Amino acid sequence: MAKTFLYNNHIKLGAKMVNFAGWDMPVQYTSIIEEHNNVRNNAGLFDVSHMGEIFVFGLDSLNFLQNLVPQNLEKLIDNKAIYCQFTNENGGIVDDLLIYKLQENDYLLIVNASRLEADYNWLINHKNNYSVNIENKSDIYSMVALQGPKSAQILDEVGLPLNLQPKTLFITKTKLINEDVFVSRTGYTGEDGFEIIIRNEKVSELWETILEKGKPYNIMPIGLGARDTLRLEAAMSLYGNELNETTSPVEANLTWSLDKDKKQNYIGKDVILNQLKNGTKRKLIAFKMLDRAIARHEYDIYFNNENIGKVTSGSIAPFLGQNIGLGYINTNKNLKINDTIQIKIRDKMYNALITGKNFITKHNKGN
Amino acid sequence: MTVKNNILCNSSHEYVYEENGSYYIGITDYAIEQLGDIVFVELPEIGAKYTKGEIFGSVESVKAASEIFMPIGGTVTEINEQLIEHPEMLNENPFDEMWLIKVSSEFYGEDSKDLKEYSEYKKEVE
Repeated sequence: MAKTFLYNNHIKLGAKMVNFAGWDMPVQYTSIIEEHNNVRNNAGLFDVSHMGEIFVFGLDSLNFLQNLVPQNLEKLIDNKAIYCQFTNENGGIVDDLLIYKLQENDYLLIVNASRLEADYNWLINHKNNYSVNIENKSDIYSMVALQGPKSAQILDEVGLPLNLQPKTLFITKTKLINEDVFVSRTGYTGEDGFEIIIRNEKVSELWETILEKGKPYNIMPIGLGARDTLRLEAAMSLYGNELNETTSPVEANLTWSLDKDKKQNYIGKDVILNQLKNGTKRKLIAFKMLDRAIARHEYDIYFNNENIGKVTSGSIAPFLGQNIGLGYINTNKNLKINDTIQIKIRDKMYNALITGKNFITKHNKGN
Repeated sequence: MTVKNNILCNSSHEYVYEENGSYYIGITDYAIEQLGDIVFVELPEIGAKYTKGEIFGSVESVKAASEIFMPIGGTVTEINEQLIEHPEMLNENPFDEMWLIKVSSEFYGEDSKDLKEYSEYKKEVE
């Protein structure tokens, strides 16, 4: 199993470790519920070094990337990030990712750990005659995420003053602990926060500095357990659960992240445009349990005793104090928000209410 | 934490002990530590009959649901009601007050033969 450069820090902090996408990662340090609520109320620090960093640069970079995503990258200004997906010929999702435009024809792609190899191959296989360089620098860089309403103040204490911090979805190249870093105002928790990319050799020092400077703000290290409940409570999809090569961005309720009017061709465009026009057979929904039970990945969803779909993610939502989930259902029943469905849990049916994808509203949006 | 000295455990981390003719069944401290925060407990109806090894309920942590198995056969005479409202109490002390169900059993003698004493069980799991 691969270890991040923070492995010893995790062990020292008494983390419980698990295998995630081939990486030996901390699942929790103290308690998932405590860690989760601390990110909502104060701040948390995550090791996300397992994620991939791929740099794409060269004359045709924009055109090359435009061919791979339904989003329109022409809209991107320098130092800004945009959420998008690599789509295949069937409109399925190869991976979901953030693309940062560092400058003209110079991009940074942050991809899922579990998909890094698939993504890199996807890029190489579609390079064709484009004049473009594709460099996977995931082995050189580590990444930490500082998330929660106190993040900006903590980062200020670590050495990036409030007035120099990037605004939401922007990235800045700067120095922290005397080292060149990328700092972006992004995350996967539904809170204000930052993600910091730094050379492997310096990540342990950065980790300890942030935890030290964050002490007066009640910062805690946060494991993958709370990372999962935080993203679910923010109704964000996880590759492998809600998204895979057979689910399209339209089915996955990611229509907001694609440009219907994009002129350029991209892989899967005809399928996606057709789905936008004529609808899809299934759709991702969010729900909350009405009965006292917890829906889990792969549980069946019913309506009037008919199996209409499957749960993709389910858990308690520690901050909301409710049991929530996401799942795909058939669209032929025309079910809408506030309709009641049933989740089959250990051979019994439990009621759940279809909700909008706003379990929580971000209470600190950042700048 | 206090551990009764007549407690017996199985390899799927349930325990049983006898007190005043009743058998108390629960899950071990090791199992609870592995699960993390307990957020939901599902227990059977009073009067339900089970044989050794049968599933009688489930204990859920934030991350996952775990089925729980009978360490011995028996008939449920009482369930630990307070765990339905406050499953997190299991994290505090799995023994003593935090048993899951109480059963009457004619099979204890036979069914307990392969169960291990707590100290021996602890040695094996740690």
